[in-house]
Amino acid sequence: MELEHSFTVPVPVERAWDVLLDVERVAPCMPGATLDSVEGDNIAGRIKVKVGPITMTYAGTAKFTERDAAARAMTLEASGKETRGAGTASATVRSELTAADDETHVRVRTSLNVTGRPAQFGRGVMADVGGKLVGIFADNLASMLAAEPAAAPDEAEDSDETDIAGNGAESRAADSDEALPIDVLNLPVRAWNGLRRNGIQTLGDLIKRTPEQLLAIENIGPASVAEIGRRLADRGLGLAGSETAAAPAGPEEEVAPAASAREIAAEKVAANGGAPARHAKTPTEAQPPPQAQPATREPVSWQPQDDAIDLLGVAGLPVLKRALPAAAALIALILVFLGVRRRRSRSR
Amino acid sequence: MIPAKFDYVRPSSVADAVNALADAGDDAKVIAGGQSLLPLLRLRLAYPALLVDVGGLTELGGVRDNGGELVIGARTTHYQLVHDPLIAEHCGLLAEAASTVADPAVRHRGTLGGSLAHADPAGDLPAVVVALGGTMVATGPNGERQIPAGDFFVDYLTTSLGPSEILTSVRVPKFGKDWGYRYEKFHRTAQAWAIVGVAALARRSNGQVAEARVGLTNMGPVPVRAAAVEAAAAGAAASAEAMTAAAAGAAEGTNPPADLHGAPDYRRHLARVLTGRALEAAAGV
Repeated sequence: MELEHSFTVPVPVERAWDVLLDVERVAPCMPGATLDSVEGDNIAGRIKVKVGPITMTYAGTAKFTERDAAARAMTLEASGKETRGAGTASATVRSELTAADDETHVRVRTSLNVTGRPAQFGRGVMADVGGKLVGIFADNLASMLAAEPAAAPDEAEDSDETDIAGNGAESRAADSDEALPIDVLNLPVRAWNGLRRNGIQTLGDLIKRTPEQLLAIENIGPASVAEIGRRLADRGLGLAGSETAAAPAGPEEEVAPAASAREIAAEKVAANGGAPARHAKTPTEAQPPPQAQPATREPVSWQPQDDAIDLLGVAGLPVLKRALPAAAALIALILVFLGVRRRRSRSR
Repeated sequence: MIPAKFDYVRPSSVADAVNALADAGDDAKVIAGGQSLLPLLRLRLAYPALLVDVGGLTELGGVRDNGGELVIGARTTHYQLVHDPLIAEHCGLLAEAASTVADPAVRHRGTLGGSLAHADPAGDLPAVVVALGGTMVATGPNGERQIPAGDFFVDYLTTSLGPSEILTSVRVPKFGKDWGYRYEKFHRTAQAWAIVGVAALARRSNGQVAEARVGLTNMGPVPVRAAAVEAAAAGAAASAEAMTAAAAGAAEGTNPPADLHGAPDYRRHLARVLTGRALEAAAGV
């Protein structure tokens, strides 16, 4: 379904352009949206949609596929999967900015595709809901831009600094550690890969995450989180939200009240298309994770590619069982053959 | 499918039920017949932490004659609506529409209050109560509140009921013998939701339609009155041509959904055709 919206924000087009591309500032304007990670053009996150008694949570990725600064046009492609169901949602959002005096007119064209039970049950409501979401987003964005002082391009950095300063001497002492790469923790390769893939490069990045956020990362389970916590504690640091936390959570603190670890782990399985990650036999380096794949409009892109391996692993034993009669028959045949040969040799 | 885990209470009074809802905050749902809520739970589209069962509250049942109006308890089932003598006499449209809801099993369990509070745009009874000009009576922590039907439905599956308010009864005006009525429902298979439904009431006098009321089902996120049709029908001759002409504006100001069952244009067409038929029948043509 195609949706079209337009709104006007009270800032010059150059600034609106910068803000719209700054995902971490724009995301809170989307009702129910939570950012999990931002790595270059790749964004991973979640969105919770509530319609009356119905609640749907989609986890997925988004990617800027077009950034035409000259034409002031950008395209964001997003696709996600229901965390507690089999439905998928994908959207291609193209925004065009036009300057009008000191204001900016933004035209947003969204192509939305929803599958699964919400789509069937919704009987067409998804268009309505999608339209309302974009409408609320536009309103929030306009009020955020209007409320901000005209020049605050380094806002994200500023807030970081206040956080650190507010934490007293202890964290300042640990400040130098925060700039160190996560390599110094000597983490297991899988955990290290998972962190790196989610944009966690330094200890500073790491301690802004809560254990729940880490659990949501592919290939990081409770054991890895405990390990990370231990190694951080050796350096006098800790994960956000945990007792040993030496630094307050960064901007990511706004993440919705974290669900239990098991729930997140379940979500992670769901996000992988139901294939438990630990069954993947291939090294993770060889298998691009779903997040790294370019987002396409087909929900198929969410099927994990190690499906075949899993199927073999699961079906191996039954296949052997089925081969048992054939093997027995073969052995019997060999025995008969041997017997016949012996008799022949005797008769000679 | 098995629903997600939830707590369940069965209070013995409306006050207890309101307290239970207030304690649970946003995450509680009222359950009566469960004919809309249980499918949502089983499909895991809804995950309330607490269900407050009002099925045992006798104060929510029964149909009462209150002078110029009927007071219908929220727990009244569709079956009771169809067979209640007071409703048959004063508010036949409600009985007729209730008889088209789903199948007998659903009609025996599903309730008027549940259907209204669920506010499914494809549900039949919301448009009927809107056409009748009914008033919802809700009880919450701050006591009782009266909500006109037109203000009750806010959005898709959303009403103006607060999270700890319970719909206790519906007041509908009595319609005399000079009123004719018809609920026209179009669905492709028996027991399906209405693709479009039209509830029409018409008062006839001297071969003319003196007054008409038309409510539309599934022509937008909430049930709506077809104001253009009501205006055109008032004072028109009670003839098939005049009613068809009046029905031409049935889709005005509506925002019908697009889904597997039909595109918005198809629904607008249906609304015009069904409104014509419903008005003809209501006007006794």
